[in-house]
Amino acid sequence: MVTAAPPEAERPSVLRKATRSATTTPGRLSVIAVGLLLLTVVTGLIGALTLQGKQATLDDLVDRREPLAAAAQQIFRSLSDADATAASAFLSGGVEPADLRARYERDIAQAGMALGKASSDVGGDSNASDQVAILSQQLPVYTGLIETARSNNRQGFPAGAAYLREASGLMRSKILPAAERLYDIDYERLTAEQKDARSFPWAAAVLVLGLLGALVATQRYLTRKTNRLLNVGLVTATVAVVVGLLWATVALLVEAAHVADAERNGSQQVDVLVQARINSLKCRADETLTLVARGDGPGYEREWQQLSATITGEGDANLLRQAKALASDDAIAGEVQQAVDNADAWLAAHRKVRELDDSGQYEEAVRFAIGDAPDSAAAAFGKLDKNLITALNAGRQEFFTQTTRAGQALTGLVPGVVVLALVAAIGITMGIRDRLREYR
Amino acid sequence: MRRLTAALAVAMACLATACSATGAPVDLATVESVERPKPVGVETNPPTTTGAAAQVPPCDPGASLRPGPLPAPGAMPVGSTMRAIQERGRLIAGVDQNTFLFGFRNPTSNALEGFDIDRVREVAAAIFGDPNKVQYKVITSAERIDALKNGEVDIVVRTMTATCARWVDINFSAIYYTAGQRLLVDRSSPITGIDQLGGKQVCAAKGSTSLNRLRESPAPPEVVAVDNWSDCLLMLQQGQVVAVSTDDTILAGMVAQDPNVKMVGPKFTEEPYGIGIPKQNEDMVRFVNGVLEKSVADGSWAGSYNHWLARSGEQAAPPTLRYRD
Repeated sequence: MVTAAPPEAERPSVLRKATRSATTTPGRLSVIAVGLLLLTVVTGLIGALTLQGKQATLDDLVDRREPLAAAAQQIFRSLSDADATAASAFLSGGVEPADLRARYERDIAQAGMALGKASSDVGGDSNASDQVAILSQQLPVYTGLIETARSNNRQGFPAGAAYLREASGLMRSKILPAAERLYDIDYERLTAEQKDARSFPWAAAVLVLGLLGALVATQRYLTRKTNRLLNVGLVTATVAVVVGLLWATVALLVEAAHVADAERNGSQQVDVLVQARINSLKCRADETLTLVARGDGPGYEREWQQLSATITGEGDANLLRQAKALASDDAIAGEVQQAVDNADAWLAAHRKVRELDDSGQYEEAVRFAIGDAPDSAAAAFGKLDKNLITALNAGRQEFFTQTTRAGQALTGLVPGVVVLALVAAIGITMGIRDRLREYR
Repeated sequence: MRRLTAALAVAMACLATACSATGAPVDLATVESVERPKPVGVETNPPTTTGAAAQVPPCDPGASLRPGPLPAPGAMPVGSTMRAIQERGRLIAGVDQNTFLFGFRNPTSNALEGFDIDRVREVAAAIFGDPNKVQYKVITSAERIDALKNGEVDIVVRTMTATCARWVDINFSAIYYTAGQRLLVDRSSPITGIDQLGGKQVCAAKGSTSLNRLRESPAPPEVVAVDNWSDCLLMLQQGQVVAVSTDDTILAGMVAQDPNVKMVGPKFTEEPYGIGIPKQNEDMVRFVNGVLEKSVADGSWAGSYNHWLARSGEQAAPPTLRYRD
């Protein structure tokens, strides 16, 4: 039957041919085979890509997101400590003690390094890049002011104190808020990505179940048409799909559990500790600046009162107690408990500093605030900061371990899915070709 | 999945641009302008303080209350303000730690020093026999009156000009020094007088008489108000104001810290410095005046003057203390 149809009529005629052939059993079988193969390829592809994406998300969490959040908090810590140290150096009178100067220099160098890291990926987030811009523009200005203060101090000029005040004002009103916002942004992006890693791949799941249903339906259709109970090819394909489904489900459940652990005992724990540390650093700066200001005009002491409530006391507002509740093992819990004790010791020392200062014993108050006596405020703060660093690092380690384990749960799954999809495709082809042959 | 779509989009974009070859090199994050740091609490043209608006009875701000005989140190009369201070064990004095030569923190020794601090030490010595029994509270110019009214301090010795408006709220001792307002500018500045400052940025401390005087000038400048006088030197050094205007003595302290600034123009006001004392403590006013008389008489005033201020100008004769009763 040769039709001399013009080219534009060709397509409808092909379609008509296919529709007509689908009314016969062999024609219908061919259509089913093509449909099944297409579904298998699409399912395999989507499944593999989804899993590949999960793996990439997990790698990204460990390699970029968490280090960025850590770098942001490092910037805050270093700069806040630099500010408090500069104030302490000023309080000690004369040429500043060598160890305080060294500490200040280390803080600034550390902040510069962390800033380099944090700015390596602001990823088109204009809010994050704004904060990085503030930090990278203002940090050199801050150090310039500190050095001007220092050279005036060395000549015995009170203008040095004015430059120090200006530097500290710049730090507290612009630089530290930017560092804090940068940390918040980075932490938010971290949690969003963790949510992504834990999420259930609905599209892939629907496709797999659809494919499974189609395979079962085809086999029942063939049984009815041919009176043969089993088709080896299609059974093989079904088994391959079921294996893939089970494997992926179990692997994803294990992965999600690890990511959840990494979140709870890792990043959330670290976040609470970071908040506690930020507040403790602010408190320390307030403590020294109250003494520098020699009077409570600028309200440093008021801020101390507000912030110290978040790191001491029995209530839920105490961030250190929250961190202890999130601790994954006894070692971290013990470290955080020490932090709780040292924070209380610091509170007591601070009260003594204020008592001395308020009763006119300024020199003693300064000595007690910045001196190295074992019960001094400086000593208690130093111990608290050490506890916090240890606990923070443990939290980061926990995050790394759990997220890496989550990644390991997915090992081999992507190639596995590809191979299983191939097996299914071959099974479908073989199985239906056998039946088609019977019609020749 | 999202990553794949993104990669595809990027690939498409690359192909598209490769074909047309338009666009520009990557932006280098050029910085157009830099915001200069400023001292904390700086304000341009702050609203006038309400105190100036109230009716001020005419008075002689330089005349204080006549002192009686000075009691022996450590034996203050029972029931007096001085007795309460003696029993407390320390004198609480509101001072400055930023004004070179008058009240400043010596960065080398960490101690407060200056001409004003010497006055505080004399009062402490007269009460306790020990000039070190002092608790210094550092306050800004703007906080002086309130600190006295709220009883936070016993005395304020902080380059404080006795004015009739302030006499309404507090008492002053007799005048222990008379300064005059002048101008401080960059060494290379063409400015020579207050009449050339119209519309220009000029620095003064909040709540000071100098600031009000600038406002009343026939060619009013843009007044930049700061918390401490040393912030003014800083703003001049940073090029944010063209001049600082206040008492010559304070300006002399700035010249001593920076050879690149100079004082210009004549004194255009007279600023009689008195020690501020809470309104109700008249016995304390008489006591402090007694201490000042003794200081002038035994030469310790002159010694203190020569130590701190002699280099800033002519040899000043000790003030004549005047009284209203």
